Amino acid sequence: MIRVEEIEKHFGALHVLRGITFHVEKGEAIVIIGPSGSGKSTLLRCINLLVEPDSGKIFIDGVHVNHHGIRHEWVRQQVGMVFQSFNLFTHLTAIENVTLGLTRVKSMPRDQAIEKARRLLARVGLAAKENAYPAELSGGQQQRVAIARALAMDPKAMLFDEPTSALDPEYIREVLDVMTALAREGMTMIVVTHEMGFASNAASRILFMDAGKIVEEGSAEQIFHHPKEERTRSFVSKILR
Amino acid sequence: MADWIRFLRERWQYFDAALALALIVGALVYIYDLLVGSRGLDVAYITRNYTLYLHAVLTNVYATTIAFLAGLAIGFSVGWLRTARTASLAKFAGSMRVEKRERQEDASGSESARRLMVVLSLLWFGTKYVIRRIGDGFVEIIRGTPLYVQILFASSYFIIFLPQYASEGILIGIIALAINTGGYQAEIFRAGLQTVHSGQIEAARAIGFSRLKAMRYVVLPQALRLIIPPLTNEYIGLFKASTFLFVLGVQDEISYLAQHEGFAGDVFEIFAIVTVIFLGITVTLSFVVQAFERRFRIPGLGIEQVTLPRGVRIARAGG
Repeated sequence: MIRVEEIEKHFGALHVLRGITFHVEKGEAIVIIGPSGSGKSTLLRCINLLVEPDSGKIFIDGVHVNHHGIRHEWVRQQVGMVFQSFNLFTHLTAIENVTLGLTRVKSMPRDQAIEKARRLLARVGLAAKENAYPAELSGGQQQRVAIARALAMDPKAMLFDEPTSALDPEYIREVLDVMTALAREGMTMIVVTHEMGFASNAASRILFMDAGKIVEEGSAEQIFHHPKEERTRSFVSKILR
Repeated sequence: MADWIRFLRERWQYFDAALALALIVGALVYIYDLLVGSRGLDVAYITRNYTLYLHAVLTNVYATTIAFLAGLAIGFSVGWLRTARTASLAKFAGSMRVEKRERQEDASGSESARRLMVVLSLLWFGTKYVIRRIGDGFVEIIRGTPLYVQILFASSYFIIFLPQYASEGILIGIIALAINTGGYQAEIFRAGLQTVHSGQIEAARAIGFSRLKAMRYVVLPQALRLIIPPLTNEYIGLFKASTFLFVLGVQDEISYLAQHEGFAGDVFEIFAIVTVIFLGITVTLSFVVQAFERRFRIPGLGIEQVTLPRGVRIARAGG
């Protein structure tokens, strides 16, 4: 479904990604963990080309997407993204946040878009909040609207960039429940998170990244309890405590 | 605490307003006395002539409004241009090198086609660089020189290069005002566009919006709400600045003030009429804009007015 080959990325003198290679099968949920600054977010942004890699290849559903002649706008419609700071459109209500992409990018008729948005908001448990502005919603509710907004574009895969790390503890559960349900339904997902519960429950594989490289890859059981690499061991021992 | 101090504290805002009002009235009385003194106000002059001035101010409103609307277009374009960090020559050269290398690595296509692509991207980067620099220069020149000089410059330009329009004072004036306000509005737009959080653009791009559509549907609706107050300010400033147009022979408010036969004798009356007309227009405008702002306010966007319910007072330590 998603194949990443030898991705390199520099920000000025900073070498952020050093030859990343991995693949995600259809219906898999991959969790990426690693210390801050290890390049996890940049890797996610490379996959939907919000950041353009310096070299290397990215394939989505067999299409070489970072090749000349492929429109970035088209690529980004294929993969939905959920951000750490939600980034809901401040000037639009919950339902307008979901319909904007449908009406303006997919040119869907308005009533059809509203109907679809209502269905998605109900799916993330926010049917009653469709007319609320982002500032009137809790962090957990905002993040669920953001998930609905991404799902509205019918993406082939979803990227989550630390979706719960800006949330107050009492709201983390509701967002993780929505994500777990998505994974169960067979959505292809790449999730950067430090939520061990989610990783154990929903992840098919875990990648541990450090200093721009994938250090270790394996099941939750292996990474959390029997890591092979010393660096994985020391990182996991810090976050499991 | 003594009762009278508490009494004063609880009603300080009324005393504050009363004091401000007293100062303003005092100042007006002083000016009145200075200018009119014992001869008394020439009410007959005012009633005879105020329609003349009311009619003349329409020219100012008309010139200001057209110039302001043109300025919106100039301001948005130049402001948007300036939100992009101005590329240095070094960065420009760097991006050309990257482009050249990428085209060479790309094995598809013939040699001449690849060369053409390198030349085209060179042109593209070069044009972007030059346009940005022109935008920077435009804003600096407009901000850095007096409006009066700009108007005279526009007038001289028309006299030398377009003499057939040189007598069209209002046309020249509107063009000069539009360019001037465009420079200032560029900075207002730049500030507004940059205030919109970068995460908003990223989110729009992530669901497949192009740069232009993200601007149209996500950034502009937010930025416009944020810049209504400074744009109102700019309109009012431009309205007052439009009184410079009389130097081009435009029959506006000030041309009456300066040329009217009664200038020497009835100076206070003339100023009183002009003051009331200008204040009336600007104050009305600012009320209308405030109502408009309230109507389009969105929770969480921009600074919200804190209004306390009736009877609630902000607690004071030790009070």
